[in-house]
Amino acid sequence: MHMKHVELLTAKQVERVHEASLWVLENVGVLAHHAPAREVFKAHGCSVDADGLVKFPPTVVAKYVQACPSSFTFRGRDPQYDRTIPDCGPVVVTGSSAPNVVDPATGVERRATSTDIANIAHLINELKGFDIFSISTLADDAPPGQFSLSRFYPALKNCLKPVRSNTPNMDDLRQVIRLGELIAGGADAYRERPIINHHYCPMVSPLTMDIDSTEAVMYLTERGLPVYTTVVPNAGLTSPMTLMGTLIVGNAEFLAITVFQQMVKEGTPIIYASLPTVADMRTGAYAPGAIETGMLCMAQAQLGHFYNVPTGGYIGLTNAHSNDAQSGYETGMNTLGAVLAGATLLNMGGLFSSLMAFDFGKAVVDDEIALMNKRVVRGLEFSEDSLALDVIAQAGPGGDYMKSKHTKSLMKTTALFPKVADRGMRAQWEAAGRPDAQSRARAVARGILSQPNPAVWAPDLDARIRAELPGLVAGDAVWAEAEGDA
Amino acid sequence: MGNEAMYEQLKQAIVDQDADAVLEAVNEALAEGIDPRDVINKGLLPGLNVIGEQFESEDIFLPELMQAALAFQAAMTVLEPAIKEAGGADEKKGTIVIGTVKGDLHSIGKNILKLLFETSGFEVHDLGIDVDLFKFIDKANEVNADIIAISALLTTTLIGQRDVIDALKDQGTRDKYKVMVGGGATTQEWAETIGADGWSGSAYDAVVKATELVS
Repeated sequence: MHMKHVELLTAKQVERVHEASLWVLENVGVLAHHAPAREVFKAHGCSVDADGLVKFPPTVVAKYVQACPSSFTFRGRDPQYDRTIPDCGPVVVTGSSAPNVVDPATGVERRATSTDIANIAHLINELKGFDIFSISTLADDAPPGQFSLSRFYPALKNCLKPVRSNTPNMDDLRQVIRLGELIAGGADAYRERPIINHHYCPMVSPLTMDIDSTEAVMYLTERGLPVYTTVVPNAGLTSPMTLMGTLIVGNAEFLAITVFQQMVKEGTPIIYASLPTVADMRTGAYAPGAIETGMLCMAQAQLGHFYNVPTGGYIGLTNAHSNDAQSGYETGMNTLGAVLAGATLLNMGGLFSSLMAFDFGKAVVDDEIALMNKRVVRGLEFSEDSLALDVIAQAGPGGDYMKSKHTKSLMKTTALFPKVADRGMRAQWEAAGRPDAQSRARAVARGILSQPNPAVWAPDLDARIRAELPGLVAGDAVWAEAEGDA
Repeated sequence: MGNEAMYEQLKQAIVDQDADAVLEAVNEALAEGIDPRDVINKGLLPGLNVIGEQFESEDIFLPELMQAALAFQAAMTVLEPAIKEAGGADEKKGTIVIGTVKGDLHSIGKNILKLLFETSGFEVHDLGIDVDLFKFIDKANEVNADIIAISALLTTTLIGQRDVIDALKDQGTRDKYKVMVGGGATTQEWAETIGADGWSGSAYDAVVKATELVS
């Protein structure tokens, strides 16, 4: 589909951002806390001082950026759900790692559990707008030593789409890979087709590489396992109080981590992923729902085109604490902007209060927003046929299209059929008790979750996994029907 | 200049968020023989109170609050030795050990809070980022802290806050310290779940909470 992407910057300005990022990397540098990472930089042409300050010669950056492939593939248990960007873009990914969930029965926020993850996995498996399940919450019921397994196991068990998330340390990462190997039927089979997609934030703004995430990224990159990273500059606190300055810090950080990954293994697929924000200077509050986030993502999409890599990131978060107007306009406006600029990955979906709590109704509304955005990208479907001149001639002036075969043949595919948006008459709405978007969304979620989950793997596979990894949480999608609507 | 006018000048310099003007006024006041403790209590603190009110009503923003706090901190580098010289006791509100939890390298919020704690009269020992749980406890023992304040931004490092509290319980020293938790990943409910003594959503409220906890 031909879509001329919205460009907030001119081509010259994009080049200037690139140049300026090179200047930052050469003169300001990046502080690398992880000793092995320092060695990688040193061995590939960067200077590293005694404190771990890395400086990048522009020729080194150019060499390794050129090594980046132009696409990235997410794999799921069922290959029909694999997604490669940018071609399949925009792909929509749920937001990850919230500690809390809004209890679907009581409406009260509480710590999330592995059962919640199983239910969410089931929901995301069924909602057509979502492509990738990034594990939405933590699991408070994780047995000791199984922090990440208690998240990945219920997620993979209940979702055929690609699963993506992070791990806090190497023990957890190895356990998660072991789980992947068990699912695949062995280490070799897993290496052939790795179905767990990893994500980390090794860059801490400004211009710093941490230890734990960097270690994980290095480990996965060395082994050719899929991993991508997100840079997170926050204007006024961890980057300059200008959008351009924030764009540059983020871009320098993107280049640093990208170059690092290519140094570890040339040709590693990456994504230019970011969650760029402007802190609310009244209080310092974190504000990813702000329109400035969308704008910065739009500019980053241009930079991604410049580097010929897929772009996207955490676009579509909301600061709202409920499925209200703020939640709608923050998620809706920011994601549409990103899509119009050519972002190919939207980490949006289901979270309130930035990244704090998952809500089933919000996930359904976000699914609808995702489908609306994808409809835009699908475009007007220009063809001589779609001009429908013969149909116009046939109906004639004052004619009726309702009865035509042409209309009947296309009525299910031309436009979206939203599940949440209400298009009925006001009187019907009054009669139904004035249901709002949240209650309609939750009804959709209940409808899906009260059915058995078709994605659950075979019992013998489950038995094999549970035998190898004793003490695992049950990980089943269990939906208790609640009275009324909370 | 009479004392009243001097106090007014000190107060205004803080309200103006002007570190240079504050230092000038402080040195002038000390030269006039004003007791350094009066310089703080009758001059600078009233200025900080005005700043506090302006911040709460959003007449000034966070960076301006920080400027005023930094101006006060600059003044304290002159006043603290002056107080010691005059034989005055350290009238601190309490002692706090602060740090960002293990595995987490984020520090901005913690640094803002540290400055505000110091500005309101606490002695603060900052352990920095990625702090091992026993480092929190060892430092608290060493400096006889009143409060251990633990920050976490990443949701995946949150349990580090619970680990500190559990370790104190195991050692039988839970009651020796008040534990406050904060940071982007935390909530009141999390704090209650892990048995923390206090939680705040903002640096500003954390100072209020800490003051409550030591009184």
